[in-house]
Amino acid sequence: MDEELFRQTYSIHGRDFDKAGETAAHIKQILRELGLDAGLVHRAVIIAFEAEMNVVMYADEGTVTFTLTEDALKLEIADQGPGIEDIELALTEGYSTATDQMREMGFGFGMGLPNIRKNSDDFNLVSEVGKGTTVSAMIQLNSSA
Amino acid sequence: MPELTHGFKIDRDKCDGHLACMRACPTQAVRVREGKAHVLPDLCVDCGLCLTACPSGAIRAETRSFAEFDKFKYKVAVPSPVLFGQFPMAVGPGHIVAGLLGMGFDAVWDFTVELALVNRAILDYVERWEGPFPLLSVSCPVVVRLVQVLYPSMVDQLIRVQVPRELAGLEAKQKFSEQLGIPPDDIAAIYITPCQAKSISILKPAEGAKSNLEGALGISDVYNNILALTHTLQEDQVQLASNHSICSGAMLRWTINEAQGQILQRHRYMSVTGLANVIQVFDDIEKGKLRNIEYLECDACWGGCIGGNLTVDNIYVTRSKLHRLLAEVPAAAPQVQAEVERRYPATDFSLKGRVRRRTTNDGPTDLRERVRRMKVEEAVTRALPGLDCGLCGAPSCGAFAKDVARGTGQRSDCVFLREGRLRELKTTYLSRRKKPPEIGEQFGVSPPPA
Ligand SMILES: Nc1ncnc2c1ncn2[C@@H]1O[C@H](COP(=O)(O)OP(=O)(O)O)[C@@H](O)[C@H]1O
Ligand SMILES: [Mg+2]
Repeated sequence: MDEELFRQTYSIHGRDFDKAGETAAHIKQILRELGLDAGLVHRAVIIAFEAEMNVVMYADEGTVTFTLTEDALKLEIADQGPGIEDIELALTEGYSTATDQMREMGFGFGMGLPNIRKNSDDFNLVSEVGKGTTVSAMIQLNSSA
Repeated sequence: MPELTHGFKIDRDKCDGHLACMRACPTQAVRVREGKAHVLPDLCVDCGLCLTACPSGAIRAETRSFAEFDKFKYKVAVPSPVLFGQFPMAVGPGHIVAGLLGMGFDAVWDFTVELALVNRAILDYVERWEGPFPLLSVSCPVVVRLVQVLYPSMVDQLIRVQVPRELAGLEAKQKFSEQLGIPPDDIAAIYITPCQAKSISILKPAEGAKSNLEGALGISDVYNNILALTHTLQEDQVQLASNHSICSGAMLRWTINEAQGQILQRHRYMSVTGLANVIQVFDDIEKGKLRNIEYLECDACWGGCIGGNLTVDNIYVTRSKLHRLLAEVPAAAPQVQAEVERRYPATDFSLKGRVRRRTTNDGPTDLRERVRRMKVEEAVTRALPGLDCGLCGAPSCGAFAKDVARGTGQRSDCVFLREGRLRELKTTYLSRRKKPPEIGEQFGVSPPPA
């Protein structure tokens, strides 16, 4: 069944390190309130957090859309940032263009995108230089791990 | 679900429904119905703030009496170092130990060695841990329960190293059992605790195992006894007690906040005290911040354990005394270091069970129904003023909305949603007054008919 039970969209502002992480925290709260399996919640939060941080670090404006059906949880993170030139490279573990300052704050170890992919049951990254980037991730709810 | 033991009891007859406990509770575990407070046990973390807040004296901490330990042949006091900072300066560590012996304890255990052992184990653990960070201290049971209830995703960050008091209980029993040739079961190791939470954690450890301690007595329970005895003590008794053990600087320093910072000097260490502050920091951790901190020492009481609810003196006085004591006692005896070296490799620091999230399994299994509840909650929230007045009997509009969605609260309990509610509250509360409000009457306000 694909009927949507729940949908929420959040906007994210680039460079806003103060608010960074709030969307992921909110999604986590919702999922936890809904009593979803802790492992599932954990995976969803990693995806939301890493994608949100990428928007904060590399793009100017973006949105996180979170939808829930009876069997899947979907996250779509879209931004109007600079885009990614070499997607394969960006998906490589450890690859990062983060600044020293970002690293000092504990981000930018080049594990974001790889971890998003690892934690998704279905993952898709579309990007166009100068236009923006969209990350789509899906987690199956009844996939007994 | 296993039954939860809590150390605080509300006396219904004494409760005046003042809402103070409900407002003080950091986990929103108190509700007031028909003018009487009650606790939602799943949410209670044993912090004791309700007890401090209650103006009617209706909440009390369940304590044990010394007599309850009479069935043991040999009783060992394991005093929290906090005890030594509680007395007037003239009452030194020797007096305090002699006082405990005078009360009927057969021995007093100095856990300097266990503190040093645990410090070392923590350092080792931090150095070996691969994440996620920060690791969280477990010596404060309220913090452990807070994580179980409100931050379940962080339970694996609770450091899996046994606390000094537990190691001390085990070691004390082993040692005296060998020395006296009696089975360990005949020996009681009794913690002298600065707070109720630790005594509950001994009765019911968070990891679901059995404690190495037989129970606890509050510092405030032994204080008067010790003080009274110190007047009758002979100088040689005090001297004997001083030699007998106790009180190196290392042990006292532990009670002064940020003690572990010294051990973790080369690591990113942070200390937070006060439950509200701990909650703020945990919220940040949940948001993915503070990943750079390796070890977070957290205490529910502001200022650390010297601020515990079973202490006698206020924390500033205690701290000042501890600093003076520190100047007088030897830092750490060389034999302590030797003991640590000897025991470290053979000590099992692991917790005997796993600390798990505490589930509040009140929800339906059907996702659709759960989403429906959440939407009800949102709708109710939108209809509420957000003033958190508490007159519905829930601590906040948010908590009330949740109660309504869950079916444990009713919209009609909100004075904004139903005017009759205020009239009912007047009846409940004003009719309880013993004297009529004379001043009110002067101004033409009369109490409603009972
Ligand atoms: N939304 C985005 N817009 C532009 N570039 C991005 C975006 N997300 C990721 N990148 C690029 O991909 C690299 C790898 O991303 P990631 O795996 O999250 O690691 P990190 O963020 O630690 O650098 C980033 O350093 C950045 O160059
Ligand atoms: Mg990233």
